[in-house]
Amino acid sequence: MPPANEILQLGTVTVIVLLLVFYGGTMWMSVAISKRKENADNYMTAGGKIGFGVSAASMTATWIWASSMYASATAGYTYGISGPIHYGLWGALMILFIYPFGRRIRKVAPKAHTLAEVMYARHGRSSQLMLAGSNVVGSVISLTSNFIAGGALIAMLSPLNFGTGILIIAGGVLLYTLWSGFRASVLTDFAQVMAMLGAAAIIIPVIFFTAGGPSMFVDGASNLTPAQGNFFSSEAFMNQGAPYIAAVLAYAIGNQTIAQRLFAVRENLIKPTFVTATVGYGATVIGIGMVGVMALYLGISPLDGDVNNLIPQMAGTFLGPVLLGLAFLMIIGSLSSTADSDLSALSSIVMSDIYGQGKGRKRANPKTMLLIGRITMIVATAAGLFFATSQFNILDLLVFVGALWGCLVFPVIASFYWKKVTNMAFTVSVIAALVVFLPVRFELIPMEGAIAWAIEVLAIVGVGVVLGIMAFGFFGLKTAVVVGIVTTVGVSPFALDYLRDYTVLSASLVAYSVSFLVCYFMSFKSKQNFDFNIIKSVTGTFDNRAATSSAAAGATTAVNQKDKE
Amino acid sequence: MGVIGLTVYFLMWPVLVGATLFVIARGFFKDWREARKNGESII
Repeated sequence: MPPANEILQLGTVTVIVLLLVFYGGTMWMSVAISKRKENADNYMTAGGKIGFGVSAASMTATWIWASSMYASATAGYTYGISGPIHYGLWGALMILFIYPFGRRIRKVAPKAHTLAEVMYARHGRSSQLMLAGSNVVGSVISLTSNFIAGGALIAMLSPLNFGTGILIIAGGVLLYTLWSGFRASVLTDFAQVMAMLGAAAIIIPVIFFTAGGPSMFVDGASNLTPAQGNFFSSEAFMNQGAPYIAAVLAYAIGNQTIAQRLFAVRENLIKPTFVTATVGYGATVIGIGMVGVMALYLGISPLDGDVNNLIPQMAGTFLGPVLLGLAFLMIIGSLSSTADSDLSALSSIVMSDIYGQGKGRKRANPKTMLLIGRITMIVATAAGLFFATSQFNILDLLVFVGALWGCLVFPVIASFYWKKVTNMAFTVSVIAALVVFLPVRFELIPMEGAIAWAIEVLAIVGVGVVLGIMAFGFFGLKTAVVVGIVTTVGVSPFALDYLRDYTVLSASLVAYSVSFLVCYFMSFKSKQNFDFNIIKSVTGTFDNRAATSSAAAGATTAVNQKDKE
Repeated sequence: MGVIGLTVYFLMWPVLVGATLFVIARGFFKDWREARKNGESII
């Protein structure tokens, strides 16, 4: 074991060999399923009939990304033993709570490609572009974050620099995703999830026992504050847990990578797929977060003062070269599987929402559509590389965008169930929520006097809205109304004159309540009686050509040749 | 939580990860066999 201030490095040759094995393997899988003439619909959703194994692997791999591992470890290091729970559990519930809504969405739009496309059929262009725009921003930020994580990891564990690292990651991911799109993304996700989960199952206990095993809880107890040692720490809940609970529905609605898998998996397999992915994500991310708690018990300081270095640092300190290589592949697998999903999500939004529905489903040319999808992937990769080398704090930006998505949750979900929701109600409610959210989030208005009370009341209503929507997905409207009202009334005595100190949380909750109140009061008297069957006819397939596989194309040519002879 | 409780709490996650890995792998190979039987690609 190296001294505490030194970490084991992998040499340049080792890192290059590992990357060649990883990206060579994924490229081989991608080529194996490639077709000479890809089908545009399959490029976006794989025909909507993938099985449980592939879809559960894909949903798990997509949701576990490098930043979730780093953030969970950071939560463990910052908030102690409950920190990883307050990061990983709520992140896992994002997958779980979307599936009841996913089943409804699949019912009204069985052949759609994106959530925004369904919004177009339900409301029109403005609602579609609002949702598609927020999806694009989220995916570009996520893509950038994964490039940064890959570049930083390569720079930390090898003599190669950050710039070389991000180029290798971006090039590797783009190469295996470009030709077959979503199909390549989900199939390679299976190999990536095997590597990721397999590595996590081995690495966590090895670090635990190498670092001293159970004795660290006795020897290192003095390194924890009482709050860090308390499983029910209110500090961890208010600063880490509560904002994430508020974001559960927002991330699920705002992320096209989830919607894409909802449209791709066989309809009867939505529930087992999403339940399995919930457990897989939660266990992996919470488990990795425990490495951060171990660092806290051991009194280890993060390298360069950056908590994002904790995972590679702990791996480099307590693992030998073979397991360090495995940890390296685990992180590369996590960021690649999410980056390829982001590329597929971005290409499907541009193909379907901008070109396909803009041109009209019957008039869109599938060949042009595929070309647009591939160009989108190249442009998105270039944009990700550009932002990765700029000075944005990309994760702060993602947390901000996640809260922003809260403005969309009620209007989007209500639109799938309630015939009375109009395009005007959707648009005005989202804009109104934004107008209130932004000044609260950035503290542009002083949180004192009547304003503070008003914001707190709205935030308390927001708590009721969040839990009400969650209950609605599983138990229906009556239960949701009861849960919403009981929660709002029950939380009030504790939250009044208290929530104002938690600006980020209050802002997230206000986004939910304002969009709910405006959308509800603008819709309940509306005369609209929307026919949900319209959505099916607007969101069908774009490409009715049969896909031609390389092998099939060769066989067809041979038969034609024989006929000529 | 005592030392035993904390040890179980730390090590239960990799066990759960392994169980999920098994469920996903079993599902994948079931899909694979079914696709091959029907002469189709798994994806």
